Amino acid sequence: MKVNMYLNKRVAIVGAGLTLFRRRLLETPQEIAWEASRKALDEAGLELKDIDCIVIGSAPDAFDGVHLKGEYLSHGSGGIGKPVSRVYVGGATGVMTAIAGWYHVASGMCQKVLAVAEEKMSPARPHPQSVFKYIWDPILEKPLNPNLIWIFAMEMHRYMAKYGIKKEEIALVSVKNKRNAMNNPYAQLGSNITVDDVLNSEVLVWPVQLLDVSPVSDGGAAIVLASEDVARRYTDTPVWVEGVGWTLDNTEWPARDLSYARYVEFAARMAYKMAGIERPNKEIDVVEPYDPFDYKELHHLEALQLAKRGEAPTLLKEGIFDIDGDIPSSPSGGLLGVGNPIAAAGLMKVASIYWQLKGTAGKMQVKKPVHTGVAQSWGDLMQAGTVIVLRN
Amino acid sequence: MSWDKSVKEIKWNDVMETERYEYTVGPAGEEFFNGLKQGKIVGSKCSKCGKVYVPARFYCEDCFVKIDNYVEVDKGSAYVDSYTVIYKDDEGHVLEKPVYIALIRFPNTVGGLLCYAEGNVRIGAKVRITNFDWPLRVMVE
Ligand SMILES: [Zn+2]
Repeated sequence: MKVNMYLNKRVAIVGAGLTLFRRRLLETPQEIAWEASRKALDEAGLELKDIDCIVIGSAPDAFDGVHLKGEYLSHGSGGIGKPVSRVYVGGATGVMTAIAGWYHVASGMCQKVLAVAEEKMSPARPHPQSVFKYIWDPILEKPLNPNLIWIFAMEMHRYMAKYGIKKEEIALVSVKNKRNAMNNPYAQLGSNITVDDVLNSEVLVWPVQLLDVSPVSDGGAAIVLASEDVARRYTDTPVWVEGVGWTLDNTEWPARDLSYARYVEFAARMAYKMAGIERPNKEIDVVEPYDPFDYKELHHLEALQLAKRGEAPTLLKEGIFDIDGDIPSSPSGGLLGVGNPIAAAGLMKVASIYWQLKGTAGKMQVKKPVHTGVAQSWGDLMQAGTVIVLRN
Repeated sequence: MSWDKSVKEIKWNDVMETERYEYTVGPAGEEFFNGLKQGKIVGSKCSKCGKVYVPARFYCEDCFVKIDNYVEVDKGSAYVDSYTVIYKDDEGHVLEKPVYIALIRFPNTVGGLLCYAEGNVRIGAKVRITNFDWPLRVMVE
């Protein structure tokens, strides 16, 4: 794969902020965006007047129940009187928000950028899943009235069948992430559960069970990006964006190999090439792969080239991906533990890696010293992959 | 194909459509709407720049700081900033009587409220709020 990309400026992250991730937050979406933005600016030591442009990330408008959500959120994201853009690639939006912030700076157009992602899933009745009603091909798929859980169930089943993976092995992801989330002050669903708890939870759409899935959630996340010269003025510990990748696979999902996340592989290869990473499993110290479902973390670890195809469950069992393992995965607790306000969840992963590399992740801090971290998100109709490589 | 609407309990993993939304008004919204219940117009005052937002806002969009200071705005000072006249309802039926919609503002505040207006509606005229249920109704003196 050849990607032509010409960079002007090196880019650092100098601040990040999160709100609590909860079901049915009292605050409005604008207020959630504001709180995350304010915290990110505070950590960066910047005021809104210092910011050159704003990038807003949000998944379908339908979650918050407000159309033109970029425009709606611009108020709380500090966008009034500034250049504002919104990015939207479904579940992949969170990391794409960071990437879009990055290219505003990397191009030399802006020096300081605030990137904000927000999602409020709670307002939709009877359930936010129902906002996915119209994402399907109207002729080929819609007549079956699919919902997303069906589709993921098929993907999960294909992954299990191809490599002979058992549900017990996949459930370990949920156990790990919910356990990690107990260290995360923002998390909605930290808990000590067992594989049996997962296997005994309600079957939603076989083989997906209730504890295989991330919860419905509201929340916001924000980061501040700055060009190298500016970043050095504000912090002694900038965390550099060393590589970014974003790619779209064929939207026709029945035509794809469901057992392998090629869209993430493409994005990862692009990001690794930019970051000069040749042996991902040796060079990456900590990773936040996108985990709205437990099998999805395994899928993504393989596509990120951190495990061979079908081998992520084995490495997981060996403890490689534990918080004290060789490549801690989702030390934040991920979406399964922290919650899944779609776009905000992806940017939360970027913020988490940033804090890991800064050494300010608190109880979430992984045991080994870390220099290179990767955050990834995935979405649209399961074909958009976004990857970011950070280094301290 | 569609799910049976007569079924009372809808499970989240069923096939379903979004039927409606339930929104939160937020902490500042609660101050504003609770104020209306008492016949008050509640705004919020930024401690940094002094701007008063109507309706009350949780943060100042310019200073980007939280606003904790809720203030009652002089409702007697409300005036018509602009208005329009509606002759048909949203299904195209001619209304028996045209409906006036006014944007009212309060001097030295940021923001405005959309309301139903009656009386001699004209730009710049003073208004009296006659009904504090939402949307507000005003009489132009
Ligand atoms: Zn102010």
